[in-house]
Amino acid sequence: MNYSKQIQDIAVRLFTENKIDVFVGYRKNVGDDNQTPFIFKNPALCDKLVFTEKSTHNLTNYLTNETTKSKKVGLVVKGCDSRSLNLLLTEGQVKRDNLYIIGVSCDGCVDEKNEKEARCIACVMQSPVIYNEMLGIEKEKKTYTIDADLLKLKHMSLTERADFFTEMFSNCIRCNACRQSCPLCYCDKCVIDQDSSLYHNGANTTSNAGMALMTWYLHLAGRCVDCRNCERACPQNLPLHLLHKQNEMVIYENFQNHQAGMYEKDRGAFYKYNLSDPDDFIM
Amino acid sequence: MAFSIFHISNDELHKLYEDIIKNNETYAPVEHSGDYKFKKVNSLKECNTDAPIKTTASVKPLFFPQTSAIMHYSEDAKGIKIDDPKEDVLTHKKVILGVKHCDARGMQVLDSVAKWDWQDEDWIKRRENTVIFSTLCVTPENTCFCTSLDYDVKTTDAYDVLVVNDGQKKLLKVCTEKGEQFLEPYTGVLTKLNGEGDAKLKAEFTKFKNAFHLKMDYKEVNAKLQGAFENDGWDFESARCVSCSACAFVCPTCHCFKISDEKVRDKGVRYKSYDSCNQKYFTLMAGGHNPRTQKYRRWRQRGMHKFVYYKERFGVNLCVGCGRCTVKCPVNISIFEVVNNVANNI
Amino acid sequence: MEVLLKPEICTIQEVIQETPDVKTFRLKFKDDSIMDKFTWNPGQFVEFSIIGSGECTFCIASSSTRKGTFDCSIKKAGLITADIHNLLDVGSEIGIRGPYGNWFPFEEIKGQNLLYIGGGIGLAPLRSLIQYTLDNRKDYKDITILYGARTSADMVYKKEIEEWKKMEDVNVILTIDKQEDLWFDNVGVVPKILEEKVHPDLSCTKVITCGPPIMIKYTLMSLDKMGFAPKDVITTLEMRMQCGLGKCGRCNIGSTYVCKDGPVFTYEQMKKLPDEF
Repeated sequence: MNYSKQIQDIAVRLFTENKIDVFVGYRKNVGDDNQTPFIFKNPALCDKLVFTEKSTHNLTNYLTNETTKSKKVGLVVKGCDSRSLNLLLTEGQVKRDNLYIIGVSCDGCVDEKNEKEARCIACVMQSPVIYNEMLGIEKEKKTYTIDADLLKLKHMSLTERADFFTEMFSNCIRCNACRQSCPLCYCDKCVIDQDSSLYHNGANTTSNAGMALMTWYLHLAGRCVDCRNCERACPQNLPLHLLHKQNEMVIYENFQNHQAGMYEKDRGAFYKYNLSDPDDFIM
Repeated sequence: MAFSIFHISNDELHKLYEDIIKNNETYAPVEHSGDYKFKKVNSLKECNTDAPIKTTASVKPLFFPQTSAIMHYSEDAKGIKIDDPKEDVLTHKKVILGVKHCDARGMQVLDSVAKWDWQDEDWIKRRENTVIFSTLCVTPENTCFCTSLDYDVKTTDAYDVLVVNDGQKKLLKVCTEKGEQFLEPYTGVLTKLNGEGDAKLKAEFTKFKNAFHLKMDYKEVNAKLQGAFENDGWDFESARCVSCSACAFVCPTCHCFKISDEKVRDKGVRYKSYDSCNQKYFTLMAGGHNPRTQKYRRWRQRGMHKFVYYKERFGVNLCVGCGRCTVKCPVNISIFEVVNNVANNI
Repeated sequence: MEVLLKPEICTIQEVIQETPDVKTFRLKFKDDSIMDKFTWNPGQFVEFSIIGSGECTFCIASSSTRKGTFDCSIKKAGLITADIHNLLDVGSEIGIRGPYGNWFPFEEIKGQNLLYIGGGIGLAPLRSLIQYTLDNRKDYKDITILYGARTSADMVYKKEIEEWKKMEDVNVILTIDKQEDLWFDNVGVVPKILEEKVHPDLSCTKVITCGPPIMIKYTLMSLDKMGFAPKDVITTLEMRMQCGLGKCGRCNIGSTYVCKDGPVFTYEQMKKLPDEF
């Protein structure tokens, strides 16, 4: 999968036609064959842009960043990235008119060992769901599946699951890489960092880490698109996707097969209701 | 003072390590879900000491842990009572095996700030009571650049014993008094080398230094960065930073911390835990004023502190070129690349 | 346990409500032997712990020439200071670490005229030097205290200011931003009153100033206009300090640590620091 040349040409055209102030894409790393996000305003740098199966970061994270706020942005998104973009638009974090979206119909990304990522093997939406221009052939939406490690989690007893997550929380070092990399975590001052919160300036104890991760998990319910920016970011290799995919599974099963960001103006699972929503728990 | 250089066979080295583990509280790199961490070991089988491993979090947590309690206290009608100090486990006499020399150098760099005026007694005691066995790397990773910085792997005394490959055997270079004394009981299995030891070491060091992908002229970069405060390169290079703290937390030389109180009813603990200048609210003051709201200011502080300010203050460069920050950064930002680009962006 | 960061217990002897949001706490170490040995120079600060809430940096607002207790004047500005105001009273126990930092160059400014310029709560750090210089009056020439606040209610140390006004060898100039009933002193911002009412002998006058950032900015401009050399203007910096000992890195600007090389700086030294205020 290589769309580097096409994206370079589009970027040059967008700058020349004054349609954008800043472009957000990928470029090669110095020293190895990984890639890194590339944000620039100078059209002369367009030839550094690349797009291959190594272009795995979700770049929509930068739309709520100070670098691109209130500017006209040209952006490259894959299928999963475009879903988080839908949610950012619905939640009012970015204006559609300010964006020129290059959507890539993705064949799947590879990790540092050049093996196809687990999430890409199970990908449900390879093609972008929102774009100005699409590269590649549109692919059909696939059925949602529950993968092996999530199934294992589902079948754990409550105590086993508690032990599993406690162990995970005890390895967290509260570096906030997960939260900062998540495109849908855009609060200027996270609730965990609020002055009135005990966890503001909290020490990196297991219970504080658990509180922070669980708060994030609940705030992301119905909004996570499984881009795995968080898990790639985590320096301790915590299996963060299991936290969120568990929620995704529960929501899929209980809220009419809802999956986050699949269509424009999607409002997430908890920001709307249908008369057919389950209500047998309401007394 | 010239310390000894010994020859030892690989088998004897393993036996030596086993003996050390049996008779001392020993830490070594242990595998943990794909990465390595320094953990206490009870046998050589549990750990990997053959090749130097870039552990996730460097050896720093063994001297300056993620979270430590400053004090425990309780409150009653009579007032506040600060409890007697609990035992500081980290000040026990211990040996750490398989430390990369960049990590060991990082600890030595932090000695400067710990011993500056107010003596950080906990740190000093932890350092005094630890014997460090370092292993010289053979193939530097493509994120490493330690030999470009202002210290010489050959002459540094950051570690007590350095283990170097020599064909089918190993060279053991003693670097400190502590190391010499520690190896005393083992002289039976060690063959002392004379002039040939130095020659072999020099050859291995040269091979090591030539194997680096990343090289820079440190003196030139340091000189150029002195005037780089207003350089707009910082803004361009820091655009993709997400302002987490992953780099600072895995770095062997980052030492900023925060102090926080956690009290439940009448008992509480005051903690000291890692903090980082990358965080948006690091410089936030009580009135609401924050000098470093913008991301490029924070990245500039990081780059300048690592390559300019600390050297100005303490005479040693803070960054030791281990490259962990690049490996663990969510978006693969290389401090080597940033600092060089800013220095050349005049 | 981190020995370096452990505070000593103090008891609050007196609480004075200076303004609606500023209280002065008069403190004494619970252990008399510690209180006897505790000494500081004007301008130094302590780390004040309200145990269970946190720790804050406050300057010592009194001079060690007045033995037995020391004062901290605290403005309610954030979470911990709110707890300090709401939860502490006479008899409460708190933690103190210190004294830290450098101090006003009280030796070097001997034999000079002193011009103190304070704004709002900024009078607190200046008070330690004012008291020191008044207690050693013969070592200094003319003393002028120019103090301004938004309103008369926002002025701190009202009683002490009255005492200073009564002293023959001290010239006190007060000002508030807008005219109020029963206010008979000056009206106008501090820099304006400085230019209008103060006529110092530049050859032997030192300026010591502290106040909110905006006041400092315009005061420094006025002092520049009046012809003061930057080395003769001394101020004390507020920068978010945490450990107070040069270890935690929070107050680091360039290669300077505000808690070790400061918080007292001359304007000349401040100009050399990178622009990170």
